[in-house]
Amino acid sequence: MSTISKLVTPTPETAPGDGATSPLAQARASWERETRAPYVAANPDRETPPRSQALRWPVEPLYTPADLDAVGFDYLKDLGFPGQYPFTRGTNPNGHRSKLWTMTQVTGFGRGEDWSKRARFMLEQGLQGLILEYDLPTTNGYDSDDPLVEGEVGRAGLAIDSLQDLKRALDLPFERLRYLMSVCNAPQPVNLAMLIAALEDKGVDLSKFGLTIVNGILIEYTCVGRYIYPPVHGLRVATDCMEYIIRHHPNWAPISIISAQLQPAKATPVQELAFSLTIAMAYIDALLARGFGIDEVAPYFHFVINVDMDFFEGICKLRAFRKMWARLMKERYGATTPEAMRIRTLTSPTTTALTLQQPLNNIGRLAIMATACALGGAGETMSTPLHDEAHSLPAEQAIRVGAAIQHLVAHETGVVDTIDPLAGSYYVESLTRRIEDAATEEIARIDKLGGALKAIETGYFQRALGREQYERNREIEQGRRKWVGVNHLVLPDEKREIKIFRLDERVEIEQIARLRELRAHRDEAQVARLLEAVREAARGGANLVPPCMAAVRADATHGELCNAMRDVFGVHKPDSQLAGM
Amino acid sequence: MTAKSSRPLRILLAKLGLDTHTVGITVVAHALREAGMEVIFAGLKQTPEMVVSAAIQEDVDVIGISSLSAGHTRSLPRLARLLREQGGADKLLIVGGVIPEEDQPLLEAAGVARIFTMGTDTREIARYLNDWWLARLARAEPATRTEPSAPPRQ
Repeated sequence: MSTISKLVTPTPETAPGDGATSPLAQARASWERETRAPYVAANPDRETPPRSQALRWPVEPLYTPADLDAVGFDYLKDLGFPGQYPFTRGTNPNGHRSKLWTMTQVTGFGRGEDWSKRARFMLEQGLQGLILEYDLPTTNGYDSDDPLVEGEVGRAGLAIDSLQDLKRALDLPFERLRYLMSVCNAPQPVNLAMLIAALEDKGVDLSKFGLTIVNGILIEYTCVGRYIYPPVHGLRVATDCMEYIIRHHPNWAPISIISAQLQPAKATPVQELAFSLTIAMAYIDALLARGFGIDEVAPYFHFVINVDMDFFEGICKLRAFRKMWARLMKERYGATTPEAMRIRTLTSPTTTALTLQQPLNNIGRLAIMATACALGGAGETMSTPLHDEAHSLPAEQAIRVGAAIQHLVAHETGVVDTIDPLAGSYYVESLTRRIEDAATEEIARIDKLGGALKAIETGYFQRALGREQYERNREIEQGRRKWVGVNHLVLPDEKREIKIFRLDERVEIEQIARLRELRAHRDEAQVARLLEAVREAARGGANLVPPCMAAVRADATHGELCNAMRDVFGVHKPDSQLAGM
Repeated sequence: MTAKSSRPLRILLAKLGLDTHTVGITVVAHALREAGMEVIFAGLKQTPEMVVSAAIQEDVDVIGISSLSAGHTRSLPRLARLLREQGGADKLLIVGGVIPEEDQPLLEAAGVARIFTMGTDTREIARYLNDWWLARLARAEPATRTEPSAPPRQ
């Protein structure tokens, strides 16, 4: 992190435009000498110097207008007005005064009917959108009866083998559900085909429903690991899905950059911005190569951004994200419409701040982080994780509390009553700019490597994150950073008193039986023919979604379709360098 | 320290099944390397067969499995059995991650030497491995054990 260590706050004495002789500098120096120094001599700083959580940048005792001058802060250039370029003060012209964010939670487990039941419960708690997570066999492209997946079916998410499974899951009150986000990256064409077929069969008006597919394969290679094919093919598969949606369902969201997945992999805010934005640019370049224009595709890009417990790193990251996206679209790609420059976001407290120890403390953490999201600009949607996540899949009480946290931030704290209330804070504005400047430098470095795809293929992202993971862990182990319940206020022999949700073991057995039943009653010759059509599209470069759609309608299974593409693309097998170890 | 201890301990790290949570195993890899050990990463989504074959081929002293998901009650005993069957009984098998207390006796009976649950200090893992390695070298001392001749590697 050599570049970052250079970026310490300039002292007021060296700040341009505010020489040591200015009245402010003189007053500050005299405060330092006459008032603060004698106090600190008797009461030293608790840490020397305090450092921000992820960036580990030194935090000054006091920020003044000199810090704004030091970064060349210019109100009109750096902030502007809400709903206007560069959107630093928010993408909505009226902040959250007209509309609050859409409140969602992640859910996913079990078979179709298990998921549907839980989703209905969540909608009854006042949520309007749902994020659908699949189990590991599904996200890694296997059927439930594959020998490799034993013990994993329906455990970490919804198990999907066929269109029939998804139709059971989507047995929902669509008049109340506004928004569904599906998280199934590597097998995305198969998942997209199933979602469209299932929604059509349910009679949902596709032009009025909001479907988001995450389609975020490049972050899977970077840190999540649920990849199947080598990166270059992964990008092609993702581009097919984006292209299909833009051409056929232009009101949907074909791509979401889950910056939030970099964050638990210990990316700093600077790395998060640089990696997420260059990954977005790799997708944009792939779409431009298919003949789209930037003003046409940029509005489709959606970001999921987490904040961690460092309040100001999180708030400033959200503000820098909006501004950097706007600037990249305008300056780098020559976008001309405000819609192309306006970022769309889902914000969320991070799960990585939550502890297994003393889980009720996590409710406090979630409330603080949700407040940071609202102060930094929650965007269109906010999702809250749940305080018992470290223990198991969420219990119903945790879901209720998680939903309530968003409502109390929105209705009880007043932080949403005025737009971007922290703007103008010397600390917030100087930190926002320093994060932006460092991320701009990192983007230049990634450009030199050849962009995000090359950075992934050479392991640059992975190794950078591996180093951060080690360093952050060392800070905790050595007690340099306090984490309540982990290395501070530890309860010896702690008894865990929260209710744990446990999945019925029969789920896997029943899911496999159902899959075998499905295979026994379909037209095998037709399935074989349709799978070959998928291989043909994979080889020839035709869009993969239409042949997948035909195949899922004939009950070809999820794993069979992924295997058909494995036959053509091969599989990704990273060594330790590419795994960041 | 004897002359023989100048050969660093070789450990193969791997993840079994579909669990792709890698922060823990990455942190452990860095910490053990920092402690002077030679760390080889077998990869994600490994089967017990793949891990045992890599361990024998790479001639490692220790196999470290990271597990943050289900399946370890089946896959780890199978791995331990395959290791014995394929002449790797002298290799140490350890596991780290989210291992519920009720599963631990079963894994220990199957041949897992040590279980490090979530939140273990990496220095504790390094200390444990180091002690084991010194004891192993000391045991090998009286015999006419020759310096292990590991195949060349990158």
